[in-house]
Amino acid sequence: MSGINDFADIKVEDLNLRYGSNQALQDINIKIPSKSVTALIGPSGCGKSTFLRCINRMNDLIKVCHIEGRVKIDNKNIYDEDVDVVELRKKVGMVFQKPNPFPMSVFDNIAYGPKIHKVPKKDIKGIVDKTLQDSALYGEVSDRLDSSALDLSGGQQQRLCIARTMAVEPEIILFDEPCSALDPISTNKIEDLILELKKDYTIVIVTHNMQQAARISDYTAFSLWENNRVWRNKPDLRKS
Amino acid sequence: MFHRRLKEKGIEISLFLAAATTVVVLLFICIFLFRDGYLLFETSSFTGFITGSSWYTASTPPRFGILPLLFGSFLVTAGAIAIAVPLGVAAAIYISELASPKIADLLKPFIEILAGIPSVVYGFFGLVVLVPLVKDIFNIPTGQTALTGSIMLAMMALPTIISISEDSINAVPQALKEGSLALGSTQWQTIYKVTLPAALSGISAAVILGVGRAIGETMTVLMVTGNMAIIPGFPEGFLDPVRTMTATIALEMGEVPKGSPHFHALFAVGSVLFITTFIINMVADKIKRKYKLKEGL
Repeated sequence: MSGINDFADIKVEDLNLRYGSNQALQDINIKIPSKSVTALIGPSGCGKSTFLRCINRMNDLIKVCHIEGRVKIDNKNIYDEDVDVVELRKKVGMVFQKPNPFPMSVFDNIAYGPKIHKVPKKDIKGIVDKTLQDSALYGEVSDRLDSSALDLSGGQQQRLCIARTMAVEPEIILFDEPCSALDPISTNKIEDLILELKKDYTIVIVTHNMQQAARISDYTAFSLWENNRVWRNKPDLRKS
Repeated sequence: MFHRRLKEKGIEISLFLAAATTVVVLLFICIFLFRDGYLLFETSSFTGFITGSSWYTASTPPRFGILPLLFGSFLVTAGAIAIAVPLGVAAAIYISELASPKIADLLKPFIEILAGIPSVVYGFFGLVVLVPLVKDIFNIPTGQTALTGSIMLAMMALPTIISISEDSINAVPQALKEGSLALGSTQWQTIYKVTLPAALSGISAAVILGVGRAIGETMTVLMVTGNMAIIPGFPEGFLDPVRTMTATIALEMGEVPKGSPHFHALFAVGSVLFITTFIINMVADKIKRKYKLKEGL
């Protein structure tokens, strides 16, 4: 599958989003290429995170949120009636601004996704080990798999959240300012990890940090303040 | 200058006295309850009271064994909790996670009203509606049973359990729920595997406070449980009349001569009740505090 050029790319067409009467996103058109890192940068409050949350339909949780337009993944509009949100979110993982590990053990945090997706019990241990290795966390936590995830450092917690997302084998991973709550060393580790991940995943990352965007992204989308706090992106992505 | 300072001091002292009153009142209640209860053991033995299986106040010599009353209280309370906890937690989940704000706003006042109904009204309702119903359904000689008391107490404990459980479910950070949903779990999986475990200590505190409310309730159980001081069987005892500690005190206090052994026996029962509810409240408080600490993380 990976040979196909269009695999897991994201096409956003005429996307409009309103919170009640407040227009947050207007006429957004963007194409996000697969197996690469695309960074979204811009001033805070301009709708970057809101846009990101359109890609895995996280905005469905907000009742006053009204969305028009199309977000196509593999040429399928994810806002179509027949789309299963659960399947979509399995395919489009998300890492949040603040590390949000579940209050359970390190092992259970990673096993959580595979378990709810009915992976056979005997395979779970293997998945946990592999994901921990892939997320470069194994060396640090291999002897603490049974202790609470809340006892890890902030940076480790965030990498655990990335590992947790990887464990359900998504095709796309969305990062919503994943380093904003972390120190420089932890930030470094996460950036290295993201660079490693783009071999296998399509990555979209929202960041405040221009340097970070320059360091890790293949493409960058700028968001601008226009028309009374409405975000319009430039129609073409710039190669970083 | 001097006058102003005096005035400030005066206000401070009067406010302190108001606050101190509660402590003093509690202290006096303790002293009188325990002192009058203790006097029972001048005429009968302590072990006879704690392990005695019969409560015959009119026999000679009278027998003051607390076990029938204790088990009566526990049975009715256990039944109430078994009914109220699943119902209350389910309602709390619905209100905080599933209901639209409109429906939640509609439901909440009803729950508050439920908490405000006087217990004698509950008792009256139980006597008139529930007692005949239980009698007919189970085809037993009387509908005044432990089960009837349990159902009524469950209704009374529900508001406590619902509102505290709801608070603790609401206190689970949105980020945790989103983290779960983003992994592709359904709303129900998220509630069941992430939200509820995270809210568990708050919910346990709610349950324990519900127990406290149920075990101390007097009027309703007195009206619907039949008041027979025999040690109930389990589980068939649910369909027999029982007598609780609270009902015993309320029923007998009016007719005992002051200072008699019977009088002191009732105080001893009161002491046991007081200690039980005190422990329950302390445990609930401990759990709640632990839960607050955890949330600070």
